[in-house]
Amino acid sequence: MTGFAQGLLDALLRDTHLITPQLFLMVVATLMLWPGDLFFNRNEKHRWAPITLVVLAITAALIGRTPDGEGFSRMFRMDGLTRGFEMLCVLGAAATVALSVKLLNGLKQQTVEYYALILFSLAGMLFLCGASDLISVYFSLELMAICIYILVAYLRDRATSVEAGMKYFLLGAFSSGILVYGISLLYGAAGGTTTNLADLNQALALTPTTSNLLVFSGVLMVLMGMAFKVAAVPFHMWSPDAYEGAPTPITMFMATAPKAAALAAFLRVFGAGLHGVSSEWVLPLSYIAGASMILGNVTAVRQESMKRLLAYSSIAHVGYMLLGVLSGDPRAGAQAVWLYMLIYIVMNTGAFAVVIYLQGKGEGERIEDFKGLGRKHPVLAFAMMVFMLSLAGIPPLAGFFGKFYLFKLAIEQGFVTLTVIALLTSAVGAYYYLGVVKEMYFREPEGEAVPMGATSVFVVTLACALVLVATAFGPWLVDWASKVTWV
Amino acid sequence: MFTANTTLMLVATFLPLLGALVLLLVPKDQRRVFEIGSLLVMIVSFLMSVVFWFGYDRASDAVQWAQAWNWIPAIGVKFSVGMDGISLLLWLLTTFIGPIAIACSFSSITERHKEYYIWMLVLQTAMLGVFITQDMFLFYLFWEVMLVPMYFLIAIWGGPQKLYAAIKLFLYTLAGGVLMLVAILAIYFLQHKTTGVYDFSLASFQAMAPVIAQQTKTYQVLLALAFFIGFAIKVPMFPFHTWLPDAHVQAPTAGSVILAAILLKMGTYGFVRFLLPILPTATKELLPWFIGLSLIGIIYGALVAMIQKDMKKLVAYSSVSHLGICMLGLFALNPYGIKGGLFQMINHGISTSGLFLAVGIVYERRHTRMIADFGGLSKSMPVYATIFMIMTMSSLGLPLLNGFIGEGVVLMGAFQAFPWAAVVATLGIILGAAYLLWMYQRVMFGPITAVNEKMDDLNLREVLYFAPLVVTAFWIGMYPKPIMDVMDAPVKKLVEQITPGYHAAQSLAAQQAVAAKLGMQGMTAPAHHEETAPAGHEAATAGHEAPVHEAAAPETHGHGGGH
Repeated sequence: MTGFAQGLLDALLRDTHLITPQLFLMVVATLMLWPGDLFFNRNEKHRWAPITLVVLAITAALIGRTPDGEGFSRMFRMDGLTRGFEMLCVLGAAATVALSVKLLNGLKQQTVEYYALILFSLAGMLFLCGASDLISVYFSLELMAICIYILVAYLRDRATSVEAGMKYFLLGAFSSGILVYGISLLYGAAGGTTTNLADLNQALALTPTTSNLLVFSGVLMVLMGMAFKVAAVPFHMWSPDAYEGAPTPITMFMATAPKAAALAAFLRVFGAGLHGVSSEWVLPLSYIAGASMILGNVTAVRQESMKRLLAYSSIAHVGYMLLGVLSGDPRAGAQAVWLYMLIYIVMNTGAFAVVIYLQGKGEGERIEDFKGLGRKHPVLAFAMMVFMLSLAGIPPLAGFFGKFYLFKLAIEQGFVTLTVIALLTSAVGAYYYLGVVKEMYFREPEGEAVPMGATSVFVVTLACALVLVATAFGPWLVDWASKVTWV
Repeated sequence: MFTANTTLMLVATFLPLLGALVLLLVPKDQRRVFEIGSLLVMIVSFLMSVVFWFGYDRASDAVQWAQAWNWIPAIGVKFSVGMDGISLLLWLLTTFIGPIAIACSFSSITERHKEYYIWMLVLQTAMLGVFITQDMFLFYLFWEVMLVPMYFLIAIWGGPQKLYAAIKLFLYTLAGGVLMLVAILAIYFLQHKTTGVYDFSLASFQAMAPVIAQQTKTYQVLLALAFFIGFAIKVPMFPFHTWLPDAHVQAPTAGSVILAAILLKMGTYGFVRFLLPILPTATKELLPWFIGLSLIGIIYGALVAMIQKDMKKLVAYSSVSHLGICMLGLFALNPYGIKGGLFQMINHGISTSGLFLAVGIVYERRHTRMIADFGGLSKSMPVYATIFMIMTMSSLGLPLLNGFIGEGVVLMGAFQAFPWAAVVATLGIILGAAYLLWMYQRVMFGPITAVNEKMDDLNLREVLYFAPLVVTAFWIGMYPKPIMDVMDAPVKKLVEQITPGYHAAQSLAAQQAVAAKLGMQGMTAPAHHEETAPAGHEAATAGHEAPVHEAAAPETHGHGGGH
């Protein structure tokens, strides 16, 4: 017995270096809750934001330093894909923290828990990016999601926020159940020996034809569970409500970091683990992708709330990114999705920064609030226009480049019909993005101009500059993306 | 002082953008600075571009002043520029229209001057970029970028329905553009499959034509349709034209001028540059449809123009009709047709801009464009009436003016290829004369009302911006050779790309016709030499695959191939 325990401890210690960033995050977050919180009195809680940013910077550095490798009984894997998507999650979290300060100050809702939850959730995402076993996929997803349920309901004295959190939690729990059930079916189909993705791939290839139905239902349930996490149609119902009810920085958080992590898991589960049985999932996933593009874009047209608009548009963007998962070439798919996600995070951060800035003045919730912004804040409006056009995929802005790279891959892999749907629906997308531009430039403003806060100016300007020049820096971006790969 | 080289070409292209960036720093109440500044930038850009007219080597069909820089090597995208005769003409047309569009805006734009002139300059660079690029990725980039300034120009400074018109233009063109992108990518991967390289250069795409011709028929037709719809929306050809009347009517005068003179030409340019040389087989396959749509456009545009009450809408529909004639020329696929089509593109750019400017003049003075509100203007505005007359005549194709040459050459080409189509097109031209003259008559003659009597004639600025159009219209009408010369070699190359061995077959046929004539004069004709049929026959046996002897009706296709 002691020999087993000793062996286990040795193995754990041997592999610990692979998860330094996650451990660091969890330790720091715990210390923040206690005793960290005792150092600041009620009015000083906003100081946690810069501290969290520093923690995130250290995490990014740690991720950069973590060597490639596999450990914990092959449940976690560190490679180019993990590192690339982990960086995206950290980027999303950092943007969220930077934009939270002003809004939470305004609402007098600064607490240490808010920042600690973001860090815990981020730890879950970092695990998820590298999860190479269905079991580790499942528990990382839960760690990530449970923290976000709480964050969505963070403004607990607001009915909408609580409702959104409750809805998200119930549906999320339900979908986790489906996911677990799917995992168990696959486990059984593979002979009850493994849930490791690489082994599963081999085992499933050997299953007798009599268990085809078992494999198919298992794959389908895993697909459903995961599609829920990225809010792909028809598992998207929770997202507009959750987006609308959550505090806006958390909406932004949900649209970026967890999506990046869940897509990484998507790529690993379907690209590596279930690659051998791709005939089972390519068709359902194609329908999911196509339906997400169509429904996301078409429904967004009718929205009056800016946050709902961005929610539906994010459903559509997930539809585009699923093209990368579908591609028969998992490596190129991962690179294209990573590049798209990077650009999407930057554009979305910018757009949400503008919404949050306006919200600080009690506006920004509705698209109407953008009326005449071009007169009141020429710089802010210009930046918003750049984000909108970039989200619509108008060249030479960054969004076009991401789309181009993704669609190029999809056509190469023979998904012509889906790509045509993607392109035509992105033309539909241009309609509602331009609708925002229309409000800003062609409607007369009401009310007085208010100078912008320093943080918002910084975030907006930086994001705008990145989006503007990204196509010119295509070579660098492609170079970075090429590092996102399996070992 | 300046020599025509790549650097100067890039400077002339990007100067407007640079000017826009500088104007960005000027405070927005400095109206004069924006007006004069942007005018100067446009004029300098135009003067630089004129150098290329003289520096162009007319004997060569190569892309001149070509240069390429690596941009995104991983996927084979190059910043690749250069021009041949066809691009050069349209590029020059763009730099030529630029200053005119600025000059006509001085009095018509009454608010938000800074944004207006900045967007105009950005638009100019995007349009110039489309004509100099030699890389498909870059082409798509410029093609779409152009939409954003145009959207703002219409949506801010347009008429009452401006938002609707602007978004319609934007979405239509975007939808067409993305279809084109799919086709571009499909060819790109086909190329990688056959040659193993990733390359977006236009030359490599054109070199793919034989490979594409071996693919399945469905594949080719789908590719051709994707390109066709993308460009047909821009031209616009029937039934994709519905955005045009809205956009034209709602746009400010300068917007309409640019839309008519240059934006529409991008569609026709796209056909010449991409569809015809890259997909000749599929184009021939779909030719009856393309010709049919061109003819419907000609007649439908003319008929709808006839019943318009709004002058601007009338001119807009006349564009649909005139561009149908351009397209008919291009789809004749022979040298006359293509040259005529290109020529007509230039002509349409000059005469229709002139007409839109003329409509803009009365609109500025009376804030109405309804034909019924005018009458007898020739009494109060004699100079205006004269210029309007010249532009109308140029548009309807009066000899000695530019339109005549273009239409004539198109009809020659069309008659060689599809005689019946030429007949229908002629009907369209007659209708064109009818609606233009009828409009002129209702606006300029007849009893004059008190309000119209008080209208001021053209001032110096207005005469100055009409002058270049009038001069060019006469110059082209009386001496079209220089322009024909510029497009001679590239068109020859293009026809060869569409129908390999075309010119050899043509000249062989000509030689044999002469020989046959001489033979008949000298002695009794040999039994197997009858009329001109042997010419096509000989060409077939001379080793040319698919000898298309366009000079004798299309039936020769089957005839020659049968032997």
